[in-house]
Amino acid sequence: MDRELEIRLSGSGGQGLILAAGILAEALTTEGRNVAQSQSYEPTSRGGLSRSDLVVSDGEADYPLVSEIDCLVILDQVAVAASRDMIRPEAIVVTDAKTVTEPPAGSFRLAELPLSETAITLGNRRIANIVALSALTAMGGLCDRDVLKQTVLRRSPKTYVDLNMDALHAGWELAERCV
Amino acid sequence: MSQVQRQNIQGNQACALGAIAAGCRFYAGYPITPSSEVAEVMARELPKVDGMFIQMEDEIASMGAVIGASFGGAKAMTATSGPGFSLKQENLGYAAMTETPCVVINVMRGGPSTGMPTRPGQGDVMQARWGTHGDHPIIVLAPASVSEVYSETIRAFNLSERFRVPVIVLFDETIGHLLETVELLAPAPESLDERKWANGDDNAYLPYGETEDLVPAMARPGDGFRAHTTGLTHDERGFPTQDPAIASRAVARLLEKIELHSDQIASYQTLHCDDADIVIVAFGIVARAAQRAVKTLRAEGIRAGLFRPRTLWPFPEQALLEAANGAKSLLVVEMNAGQLALEIERLCAGRGAVHRLNRIDGEVIAPAEIADAVRQAAP
Repeated sequence: MDRELEIRLSGSGGQGLILAAGILAEALTTEGRNVAQSQSYEPTSRGGLSRSDLVVSDGEADYPLVSEIDCLVILDQVAVAASRDMIRPEAIVVTDAKTVTEPPAGSFRLAELPLSETAITLGNRRIANIVALSALTAMGGLCDRDVLKQTVLRRSPKTYVDLNMDALHAGWELAERCV
Repeated sequence: MSQVQRQNIQGNQACALGAIAAGCRFYAGYPITPSSEVAEVMARELPKVDGMFIQMEDEIASMGAVIGASFGGAKAMTATSGPGFSLKQENLGYAAMTETPCVVINVMRGGPSTGMPTRPGQGDVMQARWGTHGDHPIIVLAPASVSEVYSETIRAFNLSERFRVPVIVLFDETIGHLLETVELLAPAPESLDERKWANGDDNAYLPYGETEDLVPAMARPGDGFRAHTTGLTHDERGFPTQDPAIASRAVARLLEKIELHSDQIASYQTLHCDDADIVIVAFGIVARAAQRAVKTLRAEGIRAGLFRPRTLWPFPEQALLEAANGAKSLLVVEMNAGQLALEIERLCAGRGAVHRLNRIDGEVIAPAEIADAVRQAAP
């Protein structure tokens, strides 16, 4: 691989994005890749900009922080500004159609998907993080679907197992429909 | 005996695991962002190895407890961040003066004062060296990755035990909270340095006596050796004195024991310095950004190099001078208003321009910013 793969999951505090990035990190490690995960959040339990970044490499990343984003999730309008100037022209950007009213513009591939709406339809808005994670993974071909599924299973509390499996399935479908 | 386990862990977690692997069996601390995960892991893991974890009432008491545990023979540690590090300074001086081994982890956040708790900074370079009063010895290490936090924490214990000196491990919030895929190599038992304990004739024992390596043997409580410990300037027996000749020698020995072994303490890494026109000097997370910048610049035909000190104090002076030998200028990049730059300017006076790139806004200096600064500075 010529350069490292840079992934960012962003939104507002409480949306479970750092958890989702952690799950993706674990799945990628299972597949033999090396990851560096960093995060930024404000000192509040809900609200404010929250993001978690992954730099995926085959050895130790020389710079472990994101500077040119290849794959981006935005789950809240508040997170748009932080990434706008870092998106690569050939990047994949997945935004929540409902809450991100002014998505970033550029030559990259933008998919405005009903992420939060899908989560609510499935019965719990809190699984929007897994819907988003699944959609981005599918669109970016980031890792094997079953590896992701097994990792989500491993990291899900009992009460969320079924919900998260539904969210994974729905997110993957959303991605395939817009390909 | 070495075992490798591939895992995704945070810098702060790696720090705690490194400490335990080095033989640390006592931790006293007071939680503070962004260092609290060190305490969290120590609280969970120390009891499993018959160690002791205690949360004290504040940072001052924590440092006191660490020193007491070390008197008692344990390898002991605490972890903190800027505001707590300030509070530990008086007792750190006591540890330096009484030659009590101890390790202090300082995960730097934005300062001064309570500053920005969840944002990274590198503003404690000078506090780590000169935070406590008086001419005192201290060693400061600066890891730049999760795996290096692990290995440098082990090295911190080795240096501390061997030279009977406080060792500070200095890294920033970004490294502390960064999760990386690492393979941690458990150190071989014979690679761990143990304290020199007093043995032989009690009548001949001098707790602060002159020895060839300038490091006196310590009296283990219960072994029966007569020892006296005080922060007051003391003679070879450990008793207070104001005799100018004895006082002078006592303080000089503390400083000389570090100078004498500085080659074994100083550690650094260079990248493309051999033919560099400009050498970037950076440590911690900023050095990782500089590494990327050097690659970008080299691809453009700009001959940039990187000198990364792993030991900040004593600074690897000779190595820097050699790395910068053919360079026309240097660029010191750090997340403070210019602290390490002062040392580099002193060392390189008369050898070429020393440029600076600084940020004090809680943001990591990015590779592109460093590359731009080099392009501007390049002759």
